[in-house]
Amino acid sequence: MTGSKISKRYAKALLSLGQEDGNYAEYGENLKEFAGLCADNPEFSKVIGNPVFSVDDRKKVLNAVLEKSSFAGYVKNLLRLLLDQNRIGGIEDVSANYTRLTDEISNIIRADIITARPLKDEAMDKLDAVLAKITSKAVKTNVKEDESLIGGLVVKIGDLVLDGSVRAQLEGLKESLKRGEYN
Amino acid sequence: MIRFTSKKGRTFLIVGMTLLFATTLYGFAFASGGGGAAESHDQMLNLFYRILNFTLLVIILVVIVKKTSMLRFFGERREEIKEKLEALTKERQAAEIRSRELEKKLEEFEIQKKEILEQFRAEGAKEKARIISEARERASQLISQADHTIEREILGATERLKQEVVEMAALRAEEIITQGIKDSDQDHLVNEFIKSVEKLH
Repeated sequence: MTGSKISKRYAKALLSLGQEDGNYAEYGENLKEFAGLCADNPEFSKVIGNPVFSVDDRKKVLNAVLEKSSFAGYVKNLLRLLLDQNRIGGIEDVSANYTRLTDEISNIIRADIITARPLKDEAMDKLDAVLAKITSKAVKTNVKEDESLIGGLVVKIGDLVLDGSVRAQLEGLKESLKRGEYN
Repeated sequence: MIRFTSKKGRTFLIVGMTLLFATTLYGFAFASGGGGAAESHDQMLNLFYRILNFTLLVIILVVIVKKTSMLRFFGERREEIKEKLEALTKERQAAEIRSRELEKKLEEFEIQKKEILEQFRAEGAKEKARIISEARERASQLISQADHTIEREILGATERLKQEVVEMAALRAEEIITQGIKDSDQDHLVNEFIKSVEKLH
């Protein structure tokens, strides 16, 4: 895919169809599934995205996969269209844009939480609540662990980054010492 | 006194005088002789021929002298030599004057030479003083620059050392915290984080 603008256009087109028939959530899941399939099978991804092979040959391979899938018709058509337009390689981008658009419709915001140690359920609930409060949206969290943070956690919501990790505090302390603020 | 306006008149006078002198001498000689008449006649004739011979010789000499312009030649030569002497005298005088002028100029040159030398010495001394002054100033600048460079280097080294100490301290702190952190610390950190995020709202 040459740009996110184009992939967003494809995502919008599919979403408008999904909104009409009320199956936009299912279409999103189908796109995610296909993007995951491509990511897990790079050989398959290379074959269907390689312009060295003819479009017909590549379409045969794609159809063979799609026939075995339970994807919705619109989704299958979109994937065939992407292959015709030599944009099938940007399926991840289309899927991400589709998710973003559906999130906007559903008033959902996604937050990446990176924590040094596993979070307790109580802490997780509190965190969801407080994030929903500050964003005024329903929050869908994606939690990852990273020991290099030493302690604490980092929350990323779009461009907003809230860093409460020990590593960040140590870096801040180090910079302050370098600047001579504690002389 | 008799004056002749031409050389021809003077020549005739000389010839005439010569003949008169010769005739007089012949008369005296004849009067003192007193011998026989024939003998004396031969003698007289002989004398006459001699006188005539002498007269002719004188005439010839006079003519030759006249024709060859000997007198005029010697006269002109004398005048020429006289003129040359006068010219040479004048030249010698001019040369003496020129010599005196040159001597005077030479003296002036000597004076100028001394003045120029004095001027050069003065300018040389002035230039020397200027060069020394500039060199001292440049040396002072170099020393000042060196001082600044040393100062900067010391500050830089101090700063680098401080950075290294901070890096080492941070690394050590990280090690200590990593080893000592507990689940309760993590809970505390998460709770503090939630509180701080709540404050953002």
